[in-house]
Amino acid sequence: MNRYLSNKKAIALFLLPALLIYSVVIIYPVLQTVYRSFFNWDGLSTATWNGLSNYRDLLEDPLLITSLRNGLLFALVLAVFQIGLGTVLALACADPRIKGRKLLKTSYFIPVVLSVTVVCQLWIAMYDPTNGLINRLFNLLHIPYQQNWLTSPTVSIIAIAFVNAWQFMGYQFSLLYAGVKSIPEQYMEAATIDGCSKWMAHRKVTIPLMKETYKFCLIVAITSGIGAFVQMLIMTSGGPGTSNYTLTYMIYRYAFMESNYGYACAVSVVLVSLSLLATVIINKTFDRKEA
Amino acid sequence: MKRKYVKALSVLAALSLTISLTACGGNKSDNTASSANSGGANDGTKKIQIKIYAQHFDEDTSKPFDYAVEELKKEMPNVEIVLDEAVQDGYQKLKTYAATGNMPDIYETDWTTLQTFAKSKNVELLDSYPETADFKSKLNTGLESRLTAPDGHVYAFPYTGIEFQLLYYNKDIFQKVGIQTPIKTIDQLADASKKLSAAGYTPMAIFAKEKWITTAFYAGLVTREDAKGFGDLEAGKPNALPTAFVTAAEQMKKLQEAGLFDANATNTNYDQASSQFFSGKAAMFVNGQWEIYSSTEKLGDKVDWMYWPAKDEATYDSSKGFINGAGSPGGFSVSPSSKNKETAVKVASFLAQKYSEYKYSVLGSPIVSVKVDKPMTGEVPPMMKRIADEVLPNVKSYATAVNNVQIKNVVDDNTQNLLVSGFTVKQFTDNVNRILAKENK
Repeated sequence: MNRYLSNKKAIALFLLPALLIYSVVIIYPVLQTVYRSFFNWDGLSTATWNGLSNYRDLLEDPLLITSLRNGLLFALVLAVFQIGLGTVLALACADPRIKGRKLLKTSYFIPVVLSVTVVCQLWIAMYDPTNGLINRLFNLLHIPYQQNWLTSPTVSIIAIAFVNAWQFMGYQFSLLYAGVKSIPEQYMEAATIDGCSKWMAHRKVTIPLMKETYKFCLIVAITSGIGAFVQMLIMTSGGPGTSNYTLTYMIYRYAFMESNYGYACAVSVVLVSLSLLATVIINKTFDRKEA
Repeated sequence: MKRKYVKALSVLAALSLTISLTACGGNKSDNTASSANSGGANDGTKKIQIKIYAQHFDEDTSKPFDYAVEELKKEMPNVEIVLDEAVQDGYQKLKTYAATGNMPDIYETDWTTLQTFAKSKNVELLDSYPETADFKSKLNTGLESRLTAPDGHVYAFPYTGIEFQLLYYNKDIFQKVGIQTPIKTIDQLADASKKLSAAGYTPMAIFAKEKWITTAFYAGLVTREDAKGFGDLEAGKPNALPTAFVTAAEQMKKLQEAGLFDANATNTNYDQASSQFFSGKAAMFVNGQWEIYSSTEKLGDKVDWMYWPAKDEATYDSSKGFINGAGSPGGFSVSPSSKNKETAVKVASFLAQKYSEYKYSVLGSPIVSVKVDKPMTGEVPPMMKRIADEVLPNVKSYATAVNNVQIKNVVDDNTQNLLVSGFTVKQFTDNVNRILAKENK
């Protein structure tokens, strides 16, 4: 085995196909997107160089502010709901005293495997202001909180983010549960012997030891939030007006509705940069804590 | 031994990559061969294949198309039509065809896409073809903007004419609630909305999840104030919305505040809105004249349409003949890369004319793209007859459409916003003015 690993030519040869495919489907399109963002291009005609013009226009585009705000809100809802609730459920499911853990684990994951379209249609019906389950529930409980969930420019983005958070919470849960299970039981036993309560032991032992898992979960939640698209498209078509736009929705609009591919590429560059920046910040923050 | 193993694996990896590349390349050569065959078959004995990308998904699109193809078989028996059914994807499939050099001989698309195709030379200029001159001579009045583009060129043969936008209403509900018809003013419509809401009805069902319908409603109000309609947003290159447009926005807001639209309107799709109207839960419905057939089928003689209201009765009477509905250029276009370009132009023109013939003579559509000699033979619903007998003889002018995509989109976005509580007319004008100032400078 060692002789194998010391053969650099063989390693390079085995890596080459994967590297080639990765370059063709990821690196090349990203570089092309960056390059095309400096052009005025409709996707079909010859592109004309316009320097930083797309980026200047983007800075003056009110849709950018709307999209950034919505992306951050979306990311925040995902991070808080998925990681917060995912942690509680993972810890609960890891506790042998909880009955029916297998059933619970399966049921948390079921929404993940459902079609996004089906889930969105389900929530559209539940959010209906007159006949929907949510408003009726508030009504039943005599809580005066009836909302136009999907038609209010302020509430709708949170309502949509919640749908994504609900559907994919099971994915984060499974990662967190695997993280909890990977911690040797002796640590918990030692903490208990030292007089720690269950909650204290999780706070002082389990959660700190799951730092790498949390790092990954947070990166997934934040980048999914910044790049959210499909729920808006299905549930509100980005509206009312453009109130539910995100960066990906902007790309869709400028590229496919207005044939302004150069500008859409500039928005894509912002999206990729933001996602990378978020990843770097999260990594640095977690690494600093480690140091 | 191990070296042999590595060698064998590398040979396998190289082979698999080569095979996959060969597979990718194979498609193109096949396509080329296929095109060459259809082109080379033009020898008088074999049929010329013309591939056409057209809508063919419901009775309104499939029946006229099938009729036109049957007529073509009689007129040009050496031509065989190969239909590639268009999908409702904002013409993305067609754009992909263009990007990959696989354009069909004939296709139909909208003006936005046609402008891109014109720049990238994916649409044949039809200006100098004899078929264009013939088409122009047969064109119905008011349809000039459908054939000749704002840049003066002809890119497509339109097969549809002017499709009126109508305000449908349920006569029974109106009578039950005590609403006088016709509603002539905005105030009367606002009062009617309040009465209908109080009686437990949704005053007007609107599928405002689709932005074009809110724009159509707004356009109806604009046309009452300005006969040229949206065309004025480009014609005079205004930096800010003309008064007529601001007035129309104020009127639409007033109607929203009076409860004309459902609170969930901007999230209501066509199926939901139409079922509200057909089931008698909504008293009014807004849609194009194509809705006449389903409305008549579902509601019989309970349903009728009314004109858009105006600020006062005098304006209502004087502006009844201002029709909102002239469209942008569009129809059957021809690809310049077609192997049988001349034939394709002839076929495109012929199909567009026959399509119109069916829409007029069988479906009773009163304004189609070209004049039709055949009489109406189909059973025409009374509401459609009313358009033909009452509206057409009194048309004073046709409002023009806006062609600039950015202006069109900002109007679409913000007319939808007008249906939302809390969105003000000032926000509407500010948002639209920002784009007007940018696009019209």
